[in-house]
Amino acid sequence: MDQDLDLLKRCLSGEGSAWEALLRAYTRKVYNLCYRFTGRAHDAEDLTQEVFIKIFQTLASYDAAQGTFSTWLHRVARNHLVDHYRRTKKDRVTGSIEDDLATIEEKPSPGAGPVGQVEARERKELLQQALDKLSPDLREAVVLRDLHDLDYLEIAQVLGVPQGTVKSRINRGRLELARVLKRMEEIGGPAKAGGEP
Amino acid sequence: MTHVEVENLASDYLEGLLNPPSRAAVEAHLAECGACSELVAGVRRVLELCRSAEDLEPAPWLVSKIMRATVGERQPTLYERLTALFRPVLQPRVAYSVAMTVFSFSIIINAAGLNLSHLSFADLNPRTWFSRANRAGHLAYARAEKFYYDLRVVYEIESRFRQLRVQPQEQEQETPKPEAPPAGSTEGAPLGQKQLASTEGWGGELLGQAGRAPSAVRSLAEFAMQGRSETP
Repeated sequence: MDQDLDLLKRCLSGEGSAWEALLRAYTRKVYNLCYRFTGRAHDAEDLTQEVFIKIFQTLASYDAAQGTFSTWLHRVARNHLVDHYRRTKKDRVTGSIEDDLATIEEKPSPGAGPVGQVEARERKELLQQALDKLSPDLREAVVLRDLHDLDYLEIAQVLGVPQGTVKSRINRGRLELARVLKRMEEIGGPAKAGGEP
Repeated sequence: MTHVEVENLASDYLEGLLNPPSRAAVEAHLAECGACSELVAGVRRVLELCRSAEDLEPAPWLVSKIMRATVGERQPTLYERLTALFRPVLQPRVAYSVAMTVFSFSIIINAAGLNLSHLSFADLNPRTWFSRANRAGHLAYARAEKFYYDLRVVYEIESRFRQLRVQPQEQEQETPKPEAPPAGSTEGAPLGQKQLASTEGWGGELLGQAGRAPSAVRSLAEFAMQGRSETP
């Protein structure tokens, strides 16, 4: 935390190398958050860049009293993703689970490479497809808690809602994910649904 | 406990956040209700799936792209500029070539007999280089030849010594051990005196002394004489 504050001060004094260090420290986190929301690497890269441009422009407005830099960064990123979601809502056509399963089957069969890697990749794809089926409110709560390891207080600060709401959203999100995965399993067979019996 | 209540407590139950009575109530419901039990098992799998999910790696160029988009092209420091300037030269193959060139030049300078601290105009003449190199070559050849012949003599002496070491042992085995001659005895003298009469110069003196010396030294002196008589 102190390291972040030090980097922040140096950034504000115009030190380019400090900004680069901050970027290197957080690009991966922001990229993963963006990817979990969009499900597409290319969109996630564009959104990561936009988020960091916004952070660069509003760096001076960060107040350490309101939370850690990481929480503030997540909040800026999340707000930008929500804006992006609303902006692109009209363009987006929500597909059904059946469509997604069709795209899984079109991919090349995982004959090459160790079995563990293939299973891990399948699980990753499966998780992302299931997350895409959640509503944004539930998805962001689950992603921040279970994939980004933020605690309830941090998530409440990021989302700007009470902790009770956060807890409820996380639980509902997990239940919904479980139902989605079950439906995917029923449609695609047990081999497609995570490998866990 | 109802289905909805169990659903609401599913996460708390799986994360171990429930108090014992609530936990017992949930477990009692799960034992009876197959649908809720299946749902809780599904949530458990979701948690496992999320925890085993690894972070995705962004493209390596993303940071530099964002840097360009925010602070623009960064001006390289003096050190980075110098490094960039010398990067093509600072390669192993260049270092190897330079080392070989220096090595070759040192050989040429040595062969040409140039003294770099005292260079004269004559040193700049290639003909001088050639004549010096020629001389150095001949000298080296002569030294090598001399060394080779010296080596032959040494080997010859060595082989004689080896023979002489074997001979006394055989003699000792064949003949009974003679009594030690008294001091000042001239028992070994006949051979030495005989050869002394037929030789001259230092070889003869050496043989004369060898008459009183152990047989190994005597044979060495013989060999030296032999070599002397062979040389013109």
